Amino acid sequence: MTFSHHRVSKAKGIGRRVRPVFASMVFWLLAALPALAQANVMMENTLFLAGTGNPAVDQRVSDLLEKALSGTDATDNRPELTVLPFREDQARKAPSVPVVALGPEAVTRVLQESPESPILALLVNEGFYSALNAPSERISALFYDPPLARQALLGKTILPHATRIAVLARPENALRYDNQLAPLRDAGLEAQVFVVSSDDRLIPTLVRALGYGDFLLALPDDRIYNPRTIKHILLTAYRRSRIVIGPRQAYVKAGALASTYTPLTTLVREAAGYIRTHREKGAFPPAAYPLGYAIEVNRQVARSLNILLGDDQALEQQLQDNIRQLQEVAP
Amino acid sequence: MTTRRVPPTIISSSLLGCLVLFANPLHAAGTATGDMEAYLASGELSLTSDIPEVLTTTRLRQPKSRVPGTTTIIEGELIRALGIMNLVEVFRLVPGMTVAAVGSNNPVTSYHGTVHYEQRRMQVLVDGRTSYRPNLADVDWNAMPVPLELIERIEVSRGPNAAAYGINAFLATINIITRSPEDTGGTEVRAVSGSRGYLRTFGSTGNASGDYNWRLAYEKRKSDGFDRQLDRSVEAPFHDGIDMNTFTYDSLLALDSRHSLEFRGGVVDGINEEDQIKSGEFGAQADPDITVDDYYLQVRFNDSVSSGHFYHLQASYQNYNRRQRWPICLPPSEILPGAPDEPLFCATLNNDIEESRLELEAQDTLIFNQNLRLISGVGYREDQYESETFFDGRGRNYLARVFGNLEYSPTRWLTLNAGGNWESTTTTQENYFSPRVAANFIMARNHTLRFVYSEAVRTPDAFEQEPDWSYRPTDVTPDLYSGLDGQQFPIADFLDPATSTYGAWLQEERIQSREISYYGQYHLDSALLSLEVRYFNDQLRDMISGIIGLEDWTIDNNVALDQEGFEVEATLDYPGTRLRLSYGYLDQEGTYTGTRDIPADRQQYAIDLLGRLSVRHSGSFAWIQELPFDLYSSAAFYFADEFRNGQFERTDFRLARRVDQPRYSYELAFTVQHYLNDHPLLSPDNIIKERNQFFVEAGVRF
Repeated sequence: MTFSHHRVSKAKGIGRRVRPVFASMVFWLLAALPALAQANVMMENTLFLAGTGNPAVDQRVSDLLEKALSGTDATDNRPELTVLPFREDQARKAPSVPVVALGPEAVTRVLQESPESPILALLVNEGFYSALNAPSERISALFYDPPLARQALLGKTILPHATRIAVLARPENALRYDNQLAPLRDAGLEAQVFVVSSDDRLIPTLVRALGYGDFLLALPDDRIYNPRTIKHILLTAYRRSRIVIGPRQAYVKAGALASTYTPLTTLVREAAGYIRTHREKGAFPPAAYPLGYAIEVNRQVARSLNILLGDDQALEQQLQDNIRQLQEVAP
Repeated sequence: MTTRRVPPTIISSSLLGCLVLFANPLHAAGTATGDMEAYLASGELSLTSDIPEVLTTTRLRQPKSRVPGTTTIIEGELIRALGIMNLVEVFRLVPGMTVAAVGSNNPVTSYHGTVHYEQRRMQVLVDGRTSYRPNLADVDWNAMPVPLELIERIEVSRGPNAAAYGINAFLATINIITRSPEDTGGTEVRAVSGSRGYLRTFGSTGNASGDYNWRLAYEKRKSDGFDRQLDRSVEAPFHDGIDMNTFTYDSLLALDSRHSLEFRGGVVDGINEEDQIKSGEFGAQADPDITVDDYYLQVRFNDSVSSGHFYHLQASYQNYNRRQRWPICLPPSEILPGAPDEPLFCATLNNDIEESRLELEAQDTLIFNQNLRLISGVGYREDQYESETFFDGRGRNYLARVFGNLEYSPTRWLTLNAGGNWESTTTTQENYFSPRVAANFIMARNHTLRFVYSEAVRTPDAFEQEPDWSYRPTDVTPDLYSGLDGQQFPIADFLDPATSTYGAWLQEERIQSREISYYGQYHLDSALLSLEVRYFNDQLRDMISGIIGLEDWTIDNNVALDQEGFEVEATLDYPGTRLRLSYGYLDQEGTYTGTRDIPADRQQYAIDLLGRLSVRHSGSFAWIQELPFDLYSSAAFYFADEFRNGQFERTDFRLARRVDQPRYSYELAFTVQHYLNDHPLLSPDNIIKERNQFFVEAGVRF
């Protein structure tokens, strides 16, 4: 398969440095040597990173954060903040130091181990964040899954004549999705949520959904979209000439037609903005979806389905126009 | 020691992959997220071989831009949205195709016309099974085991396609693809009732939630047929309805991630009414209705060796059993020279025939890379027949074939296809090779220009080639004639030896076809326009024309046809609106080329017969509209200008309300068919009394 991968994010042009592997070792060595760290770092210029547990990932995020927080003066590339691995004892001693937590597991850990620390949650879903029910000035987030409206508008961008969106949902999510989809009516899109009450009702429900919608908007729900079902869902949709949008970038590689996503560099850059705000005002901006995003399209699937796609730039522009129009009619 | 630098992009991707792995809150709870992403990242999921593209033309799955020929795709949704009531009527949506009825309302369809009776110049496939009758090689559309609800899509590859399917893929190939049992889990029930005794009930149930997916479906189709016929210029009742029951079972068993097994089986039984006046022979005393009793079995083994190599093995067996018996009474002088006129000779005659077809096929697809793909395969077919009347016993024909198609795209803007089919058949004791070559120039933004050259043959069917047609009366009365009970009356004895060609050896028909076609898509604001235009120029040689009848048997390789024309198919999708247009222009010129010296009027008659289903202008226009309150409407206009008895013009209107509840959906619809003139369709006997025909339907799916 061939893929088109287009960057729309503001991170465009930022080079990716390849860090030697030992950098990750150093990072974790630092974690193991708290005394050394404490001695060399001013806590007010510190940022904790509660990682995923994957050293390579955590190191990469740490590097990007430091880079994003570097001074703008060309002669001064020192980071505004030093990123240190999150440790309970350090955090408890410096409860005003913000913690960037990667993923729900990390967020949960920080909440348990240092309940006073301000937290910026990355790589979490809106659902997870909402369930925390925490004040956003102390615990904020940049959501990982693409916003539902943007995904829907991507479908509309690819199929300009589309008027109906089909969504599959488990009973507990149906109402939430329904509410989130409601503003799309102003963009000329009607959405209908089809409830998958059990695993064996998935295909019958999908068949009805495909009868309704011009495309299937796949939302991140692993009980519906999982290794056992994904091929079945995609092929059923394609056999009925219905495209599938979302739920994430990885699904596009697997055969979904397209999805928006936030590249890591963009996510981290926006996270740096949240951290700066926190430093200046003592509070995070409200939790939100990242502003920057990119579009991933599976052009081979498009060709197979005779879907006419403009080039990446045109697609990006059209999606931005559609988002702007929606914001105008449903701010 | 050297250090291998990993490209940044790979690092980035793998990091992102890892990130994604941990991104979902459900992961912490031990859900399938990690598995999902690992699975997606593994590349194990490959849809390359499964995405439905145009697959009829070369057997390769190809996007329209790479297909070597024009292919119309009619989706099942379109058929249902337009309120089409009979399968054969779908083909009015295909540019260049005509639909009519012969005899006692036996539907017939063709691409670029030619004869109306015994229409057998198209390959018809249902889920990969050859579905024309094996030995009386026409297509019995009344008994086709295809409920409209189960049609996924119908592909019509317009133009000769013998390079992929061999003999009979002469003018076009119809490929009816029913819904996969993977896609039809749940239950659906629908009923449609309407004018002229139309009744159709459908029910299906199935499971699509595990490795074994299956569907059981039942359909009943009833219709009274046309209202009236002409009996010596006076309108009379017409006994030409149908009452068919179809049971089908489709299943797919995923053996593992690579292998799967498909099994399909079906039974069709019912009555195809034949009218005593129209179809009764030898002084029929009752309607010679045909009892249909067909079944089929099909098994297919699929192996996806890799994402670039897959093959299937398929075997199917189809049995067509027709019983047609009717009582006769006629003066004995009509069958025995010198016999008296009285008392009348009464007996029972039959046109019983049982035909079967065993078909084996192996097909292999190799994708060397996205620019070079090869499909190849072998096939074997055994056609059997048993009929005392038509063949005086049993008989068999065998056919073996090898086929292949290579698709090569040397540059982004050019795709070349070269394919061919070699086959050997006992029908003519000959071997044939049917080639096709094509060049597709793919211009910017989905504009494709195709140049296609192809050749095809059609061999005469068993009945044309080796008829042994006779009748053996049974139940003879009065006793005076009991000696004639079981006696054979060969039809050859009734034919005029001066004109009869009965038993003459026929050669294959041949066609050379050239096509220039264009396929393009345009975004017009919020609309999408798809346009396909085909120009064709064909030479058809040694065409078999003439009559197969009890009084005349004059078929011969006696007509050459030169035809050219163009066809347009366009769809325009607006938000909530779909417009579809099809138009065909056909200029067909026939020349008598027979070696028999027959009068000019009979020569012309042979030419005319070969144009009975050919019309100069034909087409359709459809408009499907979404409306508020879950309402949908459609309007369709169909025309063919013109058959022998004038133009066919009909407009259909349909209003439906489809309600999708979270757990079930239902639909109610009302359809009106309005005939714009009183011209009977093709034959003066096909009389519909009311110009407006009404239908109501209700269906539920859950």
